Amino acid sequence: MCGGALAALAGSAVAVPMLVEAQGSDDRGVLELLLLIERTEAAFYSAALEAGILDGELREFAQVVRGHESEHLAVVEGALGSDLPAEPTFDFADSLADADAFARAAAQLEDAAVGAYNGQAGNVSKKVFAVAARIVSVEARHAAWVRSIEDRDPAPDATDKPMTEQQVRDSLRELGVTA
Amino acid sequence: MTRLDPAALDRDGALEEARAKLTRTQLLGAGLTATGALLALPRRAWAAQLSKTDTDVLNYALSLEYLQAAFYTESERSKAITGKAGQAARTVGAVERAHVDAFLGLLGKKAIKRPRFDFQGVTEDKRAFLKTAVAFEDLAVAAYKGQAIRIESPAVVSAALGIHTVEARHAAWMRHLNGIQPAANAFDEPDSKQEVLKLVADTGFVVAAPRMKAKRKPGYTG
Repeated sequence: MCGGALAALAGSAVAVPMLVEAQGSDDRGVLELLLLIERTEAAFYSAALEAGILDGELREFAQVVRGHESEHLAVVEGALGSDLPAEPTFDFADSLADADAFARAAAQLEDAAVGAYNGQAGNVSKKVFAVAARIVSVEARHAAWVRSIEDRDPAPDATDKPMTEQQVRDSLRELGVTA
Repeated sequence: MTRLDPAALDRDGALEEARAKLTRTQLLGAGLTATGALLALPRRAWAAQLSKTDTDVLNYALSLEYLQAAFYTESERSKAITGKAGQAARTVGAVERAHVDAFLGLLGKKAIKRPRFDFQGVTEDKRAFLKTAVAFEDLAVAAYKGQAIRIESPAVVSAALGIHTVEARHAAWMRHLNGIQPAANAFDEPDSKQEVLKLVADTGFVVAAPRMKAKRKPGYTG
């Protein structure tokens, strides 16, 4: 049978991408948008865990994903180097009213991340592209994961539509981000 | 700063127009909007414009989509995959078939033929089905990631990335159904074409020649 081969297929390497350096104005502009997303995600999951509204699978999801987002954030910050944009301000009162609100907001936030990374892929150097590609599919996994927990369709479309920067910023604003 | 808008990739508006048209006419059912739009593109025009590299990448992607589509379709037909797993098989199967159609549409006459598959019973057992689905979806994510950077046409890159993240959603979904962590690492690693094709070959699911097992008993020849 094919058990060994399947096990090999399922095995996943653990490697942190090398820090990349912004190579041009496009890279920097895109990385600043990605920084906004990763900062939002890291702050959102931290706030969710502190709010005490989560238990069971949703809590486990938030814990794991907070860890991932802080790793993503470190990579994006590293790529930007010094002179980072000012921190945005967050008001997650509505997004974290209860566990359901959290799950809906998390799905929207992860979708925005997927849309942003996919939408900006054509604006960056190959170096940034390669690292972004390692992050974006993890954001998509998060988006599907939280929907699976909630028994909602984890993959509602055959392809993920890229989002424009404006669409991404609008989505974040809805979730309580002021940048 | 020149920032490329995703919509700008679609220079002649064909993608957006096709997408809007498909949405309007409700052709889509299971939310196949963007792939449907790709599918609706004038096929000959696309295939003629593809570079050698892009043709190669798209055919490789097509080979993986053939594999996935056949796997889910057979699982669906076996009726052994029930409950939430059955629902997932139906939904994901429809999407993988749409991906096949999209690549066939892009490649036109340059498309490789669909191989024969023998899934060796994994489509008839829920545990084996889920384990295989997880492996296929994780593999697809790694495979698309390995190729996206090679693609030369911006529109094809955009399409491939949009499919790449859907495969990641499927991977998370199947993992959740299988009781394993949907996002095991903070970063997903790419896989080379060579690695992926070797892993696929090692499964034995792709059979080059037609199966020798007769579907019907031979007639009595006395």
